[in-house]
Amino acid sequence: MSGKVLTITSGKGGVGKSTSSANLALGLALSGKRVVTIDLDIGLRNLDMILGLENRIVYDVVNIVEKACKINQALIKDKRTENLFLIASAQTRDKSAVTSEQIIGLTNELKKDFDYVILDSPAGIESGFRNAMLPADEIIIVTTPEISAVRDADRVIGILESNDKTQVSLIINRINPTLVRKGDMMSKDDVLQVLSIPLIGVVPEDNNIVSYTNIGEPSVLHKDSNSGAAYKNIVKRILGEDVPFMEITEEKKGFLQSIINFFKE
Amino acid sequence: MGKVLIKGKNFLGFEIEIKAEDINEIKKELDIVISSSAHFLKNTIVTLKLTEKNKLYANDIIYFLKEKDIDINAVVLANKKGCPTDVPIIETRNMHLLAEREEEQAATFKGNLRNGQTIRVDGDLIVAGNVNSNSYVYATGNIFVLGNLDGIPHAGYGGNNEAVIFAFSMNPPQIRIGDFITRSPEEGVKIRNRSAASSEVAYVNEGNIVISTYEEWLKLKR
Repeated sequence: MSGKVLTITSGKGGVGKSTSSANLALGLALSGKRVVTIDLDIGLRNLDMILGLENRIVYDVVNIVEKACKINQALIKDKRTENLFLIASAQTRDKSAVTSEQIIGLTNELKKDFDYVILDSPAGIESGFRNAMLPADEIIIVTTPEISAVRDADRVIGILESNDKTQVSLIINRINPTLVRKGDMMSKDDVLQVLSIPLIGVVPEDNNIVSYTNIGEPSVLHKDSNSGAAYKNIVKRILGEDVPFMEITEEKKGFLQSIINFFKE
Repeated sequence: MGKVLIKGKNFLGFEIEIKAEDINEIKKELDIVISSSAHFLKNTIVTLKLTEKNKLYANDIIYFLKEKDIDINAVVLANKKGCPTDVPIIETRNMHLLAEREEEQAATFKGNLRNGQTIRVDGDLIVAGNVNSNSYVYATGNIFVLGNLDGIPHAGYGGNNEAVIFAFSMNPPQIRIGDFITRSPEEGVKIRNRSAASSEVAYVNEGNIVISTYEEWLKLKR
């Protein structure tokens, strides 16, 4: 078996890389794929928290590359599915604790046993980003519809192109339909016009993400979550299904609207 | 037959001209024509010339060709109204500006220039794609951007004040031509509606950098 290395990156921080990594990893695992996700944000770990696995960490990725433990010892099994494993990042070290050769070596080992190796990249374009990008077979860029995030994503795409990484696709995160309608937020099309890479998903703004992170349950676990539904669609697209893009619309709650809806039904 | 033609190299590369009006007929003929010449069309600049009747199908044709690994860089049309496509559109009346350059040496860059990237060329530069924010293009001659210009262009680099900058949609923070530099106004900055933008030319007039629509610039030139 030879799996794929999928890197989630963005350039700018705080746009939802770790949240996307957690949701896609869990989504793929729940679809029956064997998945391992590695938190490469060494020194600022949080993927373990988003997945709700933080109190199970014994060994981390730096321990593996320094040969302080075997790979199997550092694989943290998810509590919800047999198919998902996490390799946590080290909290007491920094990005310079690992080299890209070491990460490539590690992912090559993991590819033998897993369908997907998901790398959660740190923000920025320095060594931590290079460690996450160089082993990738496919790269997903996460951006929000803000000019600063889009410009950083553009910079990252340029670096990926010059490293011959051609399998690159885009998630637009935290779209707010009300702001888009008012013209205060870039629309999906505005973002695509600047970045011109294939879109793999649009995730609506979801206030529940904060509480999902606090309790360690990514939104794909919540049936009524619209961000969860968007991530499930992205998982299907990664698996090669042709899923139409969700129309993101405003929730209409006005009194008049509910009367109209009543008569329509 | 004969309703789909691949014309030899024009100033940009190759042009696929489609006169057929029925989408199925177009795809069938494209299949035949491409099967013999697909290898020429890869990794070069390809424009698609459509008529008023078949421009509706622009996106269908572009996706059809994309599946066959042929990327269309621009669509050439008499009138861009009513042609829904993400690819830059060149109106035929705008072609001769570019065609004038045919004889001269022009460097061509195909693709998008990304944030943080720089191009420097001697002579004229044609960018078949977008020049994104925080990228830089330097040319000792003229700069033609067949896409959106959001980065910083410097035409006539080294002191040629006669150089011009052309773009389908011009929105750079600064424009530099020869020895002159200007910056865009800071008030009224909004997310611009791209589809409303029209081709513009920047040039030096009496010591100032001026931007006018392509049509106005042509009138001045005559």
